[in-house]
Amino acid sequence: MATKNAISSRERSERVAPNAAAIPPVAERRRKPLKITDGMIWVLIVVATLWVFFPFYWAITTSFKEHLAIVSQPGFIPWLQFRPTLLNWEREFVNRGPEIMSGLTNSGIIAIGAMIIACALGTLAGYGLARFRFHRWQNKDVTLWFLSQRFLPPMVTVIPFFLVMKFLRLLDNPIALIIANATFTMPFAVLIMRDAFKELPIELEESALVDGCSHFSAFWRIALPLAAPAIAAAAIISFAFSWNEFLFALILTYERARPMSVIIAGVEHTQGIQFEFVATRLLVAILPPALLALTVQRWIVRGLTFGAVKG
Amino acid sequence: MDKRVVTLVGLIALLSTMWFGGAAPTHQAGPVRATAAPTILGFPAATELEAKTAQAAFNAADKGKPDPAWKGKKFTIAVYSAGQRGAISGPLYFWRNKFTELTGATYDIVEIPFAELREKIYSDFTTSAYKYDVIINCSNWYGDAIANDWIQPIDKYFNEPRMPKWDRASIAPAVANLMKWGEHWYGTNNDHDAQVLYYRRDILSDPKWQAQFKQEMGRDMPVAMDTWEDVLEIAKFFNRKDWNGDGKPDNGISLHLKVGGQGFFHFMALSAPYVVTPYLGQPPTKVTKYHNVYWFDPETMEPLINSPGHVRALETLIALSKAGSPAMWGWSLGEAWADFLSGKSVLVFSWGDVGSLAEDPTQSKIAGKLGARGIPGTKQPYDLEKKQFLNLSKPNMVGNQVGCSWHPVLSKFAKNPDLAYYFMAWQATPPINHWNVYMGWTGVDPGTTYDWFPPAGKATIDEYVAGGYKADDAKSFIGAFTDNFYRYPIFQNYIRIPGTPEMMEVWDVHLSEAVTGQVSPKEALDRTYQDWQKIIDNIGRAKLLKLYQQSIGYTK
Amino acid sequence: MKAMAHKERIKFFFVIPGILWVLIFTIFPLLYSLRLSFFQARLGQDQTFIGMGNFQGAFSDYRFWNSLSITVFFVVVSVSLTVLLGLGLALLFNRPRRGLRFFRSSFVLPIFTAPIALGYLGLTIFHEDVGAVNVALRMLGVVNPPGWFHQVWAARLAITLVDVWQWTSFCFLVLLAGLQNLPEELYEAAQLDTSSGWGIFRHITLPLLAPVLFTVTILRLVETLKVLDIPFSMTSGGPGAATQTYSFYVYLVGLRNFNAGYASALAYILLLIMLFISSFFFNRLRAIYD
Repeated sequence: MATKNAISSRERSERVAPNAAAIPPVAERRRKPLKITDGMIWVLIVVATLWVFFPFYWAITTSFKEHLAIVSQPGFIPWLQFRPTLLNWEREFVNRGPEIMSGLTNSGIIAIGAMIIACALGTLAGYGLARFRFHRWQNKDVTLWFLSQRFLPPMVTVIPFFLVMKFLRLLDNPIALIIANATFTMPFAVLIMRDAFKELPIELEESALVDGCSHFSAFWRIALPLAAPAIAAAAIISFAFSWNEFLFALILTYERARPMSVIIAGVEHTQGIQFEFVATRLLVAILPPALLALTVQRWIVRGLTFGAVKG
Repeated sequence: MDKRVVTLVGLIALLSTMWFGGAAPTHQAGPVRATAAPTILGFPAATELEAKTAQAAFNAADKGKPDPAWKGKKFTIAVYSAGQRGAISGPLYFWRNKFTELTGATYDIVEIPFAELREKIYSDFTTSAYKYDVIINCSNWYGDAIANDWIQPIDKYFNEPRMPKWDRASIAPAVANLMKWGEHWYGTNNDHDAQVLYYRRDILSDPKWQAQFKQEMGRDMPVAMDTWEDVLEIAKFFNRKDWNGDGKPDNGISLHLKVGGQGFFHFMALSAPYVVTPYLGQPPTKVTKYHNVYWFDPETMEPLINSPGHVRALETLIALSKAGSPAMWGWSLGEAWADFLSGKSVLVFSWGDVGSLAEDPTQSKIAGKLGARGIPGTKQPYDLEKKQFLNLSKPNMVGNQVGCSWHPVLSKFAKNPDLAYYFMAWQATPPINHWNVYMGWTGVDPGTTYDWFPPAGKATIDEYVAGGYKADDAKSFIGAFTDNFYRYPIFQNYIRIPGTPEMMEVWDVHLSEAVTGQVSPKEALDRTYQDWQKIIDNIGRAKLLKLYQQSIGYTK
Repeated sequence: MKAMAHKERIKFFFVIPGILWVLIFTIFPLLYSLRLSFFQARLGQDQTFIGMGNFQGAFSDYRFWNSLSITVFFVVVSVSLTVLLGLGLALLFNRPRRGLRFFRSSFVLPIFTAPIALGYLGLTIFHEDVGAVNVALRMLGVVNPPGWFHQVWAARLAITLVDVWQWTSFCFLVLLAGLQNLPEELYEAAQLDTSSGWGIFRHITLPLLAPVLFTVTILRLVETLKVLDIPFSMTSGGPGAATQTYSFYVYLVGLRNFNAGYASALAYILLLIMLFISSFFFNRLRAIYD
């Protein structure tokens, strides 16, 4: 069985090979010495894919299970193992529609607000760090300082942050969370943009400067449009991290400004955890960041590693 | 120039579309909601019957004389998050239209996730935000609320002609005490929490199982289950046997023991008869240094929590936890109840919710098979005075009111206090409160004379049957609560001094450590003792001692 | 000359806004926390200065040590598993394959799932009777699958596995990018010297990939040290305190029980630990951003 598989998939890969123009020849060479058959690889790929998709599949099926069925009978396959029901989705949107809607709106406002601030300030700082020399500060130390914000445990700042927001009368206001999340995601934006601008050829800007352009308009007219894909990556990462942030959202909001992550935590109440709504809310909440992430692939890796790894 | 603007605008537009794209399903919620949540007789009711009985309750309830000045006013109620048809928060939504009909005013409902309820309310007060006018609170919160002066007494409204009259005498005294602090009333009647023991009436009364029990154990099945020792034996007997006929072994008892899953309430109810002993003079309920105490020594504030009685109770709980699904060590309420309601365990002890959920066909497969009794006792309680276990011929029975008994209190900083109190009193009137009780989904548990059957009360089986109960289930379920509140000679103290929630939290952790076998029962309770000592010193021993003595009615 | 001076000035225009923003919103909280950590500060009570009392208290607090050791376990297991699995997957996918783009795209999904929701979902996946994991294990012939929520080590593993699931794809994507950036010539040269795949991996791929592995490990380490959402929603720190990670313990102390002084001290200890750890790789990181 295994041999047959291996042969058939080798045939397939041979058929594929001419089409795949982008393959570096070295890859072919690298494969041989490893002596892993193609069949095995396909099996592993299938396993890996199952590994990634299974929780989503589980969430989807759970969202169609009856309350009692979720904790009292095993079920992977609808109709065969359990009777699917639309009741959960119905209840979620009929009874809690306004709440979910307001959670999504708040999450959207917070994530987009934080994203705009982080990207705006981050792009400026990234450009500054890429194009100028800060002698006394040392560019790399400023860069590291931005990165180190990511090392700061949020637990250290959450209590004082709460008190500051209380003082500013910003509790239960999306602005408080926009500020918090912009601060947390700023390192991503700064480091991604620094990296992106470093890669752009400096000649274009220099010739613009010679032509009488100011530094700012050289940045604004020439560098910025060229760095658009990197900005998109920075934007998406800061959007997604702000969207999913939980601790500050929990502490800083009460009612009006509650984002989706806190609404998700609302599934737990005195009669236990409502597993069916965990599933529906997880699925609703993942849509916006996931759709965004799928649109911009190229810079995601570089973004998530703060520009340390080119991808 | 153009390119840059296009890029930026395009990016923002893309993100916004994505965001609204993600939110798209909820956009449909608006119209769907408008059509799918029709009102019957002004109620957002699920069935005609529900609306009709509610309307009858509305008509029967005292309405006082609503002040015309209230028209157009508004106040805010904070409640834990369970939704429009959820426990405790559901009735607030259900009755809102009618409240507007009566007063021309309305209220906002703020739902707070359960895990966050206390934190949010505390920080609301400590930061002087005062967003909430009425708080549906857990009774163990009073210590902090009184010590910090956050809530106001409501006695002044009792004789006001504007306000609806509610019947304070009808409330079971154990629960009524939770709405008071000292001489003053702070809360109005709503929910009444206590744990009782539920069992499968059909299985325990089955002669086949009784015969087999006798054969295996050499004695009659102790179906009365007067002591925990009997319960344990029955649980062990049924555990791992296929008594529900599905071809798979089933469970004896179902418990919720997960950290954060309110497992400590289980232990509270179970351990009371092992520790709380009656005063030997008159009345038996008199609180002395050694009698009718459970939490602390009323003279020194030293925790009693690691007394040999507590330890033995914990050993019993651990033995019980082995007579059911091993998974239950990780269960919170929902899973534990589901195990019983889906017909997989013979026994469960928990709040009144189980009794009403059992009748809900979407949540239960055991309607018509439900039995219940008050929390069992033990024949070997620990005597704190003699420092030894007693050997009684009749079990020591101790009633409980464990849980939160969720009920509204009025914030000291309420913006329309009169209007807010009007709402509280109106919800507390017997017809409306009783309707909330016998409707299972409301999560409001029974605890007044109009919930009980004669002779203790004046409810009828028909009312419960109209609420969807099977007659025999209701008889047994309500009977168990009546026993608990009226027939038990003594009661466990309710703990509600400042710092209570923190003490419960560490206790919860240590109980779980013991139940999952990480430490011995003695060690777990010793740890609790040490942590509590720390908390007491941290908050101030003298201050707590005074409040504790007040809250349990101890005088030298 | 004038242009130079202008350039000197304008460079600050670019970096100062970002620096100011971060300073304003982190320095004040950091200083305030530091102050709080020397006080006994509880909700609704006067604050009293107690010097190092909170820090001393932490060292005699077994829950502090408990949460610290759990966090160490979590960090070690999660970081090594994600990096190893990610490396394995990256090697697996580092070859021409139809649909590679699809896999790469879809593998981003876990990273963008809300961890708080994953924790709750984990309760059903790891449910002892009917959860997917144990049902699968039983099918594979395991008679007594682990009790994920009542056995100490199983529970620790369960929260770790959720985190591993979420971040394996991150490691995979990064390491795959790293592999694809490796210069091809070296492989060609190596081909002549050795013949075994393992030899190439061990002597060529791994050393070349080391900087990327380093980066991935550091980034994972920093994030796992802060873990809160998953134990918060999945286990509430149970059974007992077996999954009470450090951040969760600080949360309980400071935000559930309002013992702000002690919580600040605990948080500062975590910050010091972070600083201590980062001091080891500070120079290498500095080199990356040179």
